[in-house]
Amino acid sequence: MAFLRVSENPSFGSLGLSSDPIRGPEKSGLVKAFANPSPAFVEMDPKQPTQNGAVLPELLTEYMVDMKCEGCVNSVRNKLQTVDGVKKVDLDLTNQVVRVLGTSPVKILTEALEQTGRKARLIGQGLPDDFLLSAAVAEFKGPSIFGVVRLAQVSMELARIEANFSGLPPGKHGWSINEFGDLTKGAASTGKLFNPSKDEKEPLGDLGTLDADEKGDAFYSGAKEKLRVADLIGRSIAVYGTEDKSDEGIAAAVIARSAGVGENYKKLCTCDGTTIWEATNADFVTSKV
Amino acid sequence: MQAALAVMAAHTVLAAIAAAPVPHQSLFFPNFSSPSSPSAQFHSSFHGVALKANVRPFLSLSAAPKPLTVVAATKKAVAVLKGTSTVEGVVTLTQDADGPTTVNVRVTGLTPGKHGFHLHEFGDTTNGCISTGPHFNPNGLTHGSPEDEVRHAGDLGNIVANAEGVAEATIVDSQIPLTGPNSVVGRAFVVHELEDDLGKGGHELSLSTGNAGGRLACGVVGLTPP
Repeated sequence: MAFLRVSENPSFGSLGLSSDPIRGPEKSGLVKAFANPSPAFVEMDPKQPTQNGAVLPELLTEYMVDMKCEGCVNSVRNKLQTVDGVKKVDLDLTNQVVRVLGTSPVKILTEALEQTGRKARLIGQGLPDDFLLSAAVAEFKGPSIFGVVRLAQVSMELARIEANFSGLPPGKHGWSINEFGDLTKGAASTGKLFNPSKDEKEPLGDLGTLDADEKGDAFYSGAKEKLRVADLIGRSIAVYGTEDKSDEGIAAAVIARSAGVGENYKKLCTCDGTTIWEATNADFVTSKV
Repeated sequence: MQAALAVMAAHTVLAAIAAAPVPHQSLFFPNFSSPSSPSAQFHSSFHGVALKANVRPFLSLSAAPKPLTVVAATKKAVAVLKGTSTVEGVVTLTQDADGPTTVNVRVTGLTPGKHGFHLHEFGDTTNGCISTGPHFNPNGLTHGSPEDEVRHAGDLGNIVANAEGVAEATIVDSQIPLTGPNSVVGRAFVVHELEDDLGKGGHELSLSTGNAGGRLACGVVGLTPP
């Protein structure tokens, strides 16, 4: 049994070469409050990546939620506090922002928020202060396969992965992190499985198998050892037609930088006037994760 | 003054008429990546980078190419732009050592004329343009033209679509590196509906977005084989 501590390893900062130095001044005391007094501990066997259904490592997830009054704030808080794995809920009516600390999958949290009858959009993920770069997202934009994969750093060498797909052929599909984020030829131009340690048997980028149901939906939440989100930016996630990852993938998406907690409170796209509540409906895909 | 010159020199739209993506950026900066000639002088000063970058191409066009040494230090990236409409495109980025980044743009399906072309802070498009955040702006400045001293790093000006709706451009810029803390890998390019007024339109949005209207297509910058 190993104990991975969030804030113990001083070398992480120097490794985060591609990380984003901008930390908004609005990173509030509320965010910091979660970091103190003790860092989030992740206790798990490093040889056993968390599988579907197992407990996920703790993470702070930030939503923008359509709340207009104190009453709404209370009903959102009460609802979230009933969700398994939620440790702390923090609401900010002025910014319409809700932060949830806990082990619950994003899918469950989003569904709980929507059950309150309010619109909710995930706007940031991460652990406060400990990591320079903590969150990434890869979005599959169709035309047939849609999906969102979120990656979040939860400790020095442990990343939480959550994925939601639709439009897959029913059955089993291998999926992986591939070395390049080049989609000029779709999944065919994303290179091989990401394998920084040159381990022939178990490339780090091997994410195992997704199980698509008869409707073509697949959902995954888990965690992976030794994965540093900062090293994955600009690479890709590929999904394969079968469990065999030696074939060309059937879809791929670039792993993009996404906002950490407190980094992106934009509510209105000044470019065309759409608000965050309107955005996903008009966009490529309704993103559940 | 020196800074102003540097920024102006750093960003040069070479041509909007070039055919297809230019395959060999090394033509312009063949010497930058030679491991035998350390590029320390380029590290020393940001302004130095930009000024040298302007001078180099003219000197090196007549120099013999060094094909063998380019590979190791040349960094490449690509973004495939897609949208809800017919607009699509490919943007390739190439950077030799710590020199400026050359951006080759080819976007099709546009209405003829100018379209704002920006790099946004995040590559996240799950909530549409909102989750990509603002224009990439590590220095906290206001919106401007690529030639301005005061600009967002992500302000790449306009691309111009011809009568067929095809916009092709080669942009050379020093504020969008492919490595380091301000790396643009993992961020998103966005092509807009309208012309970017480059901060000078007098509209309330001029100094934040250039009042360039809705976005037509976007794509995340991904790594490509070196």
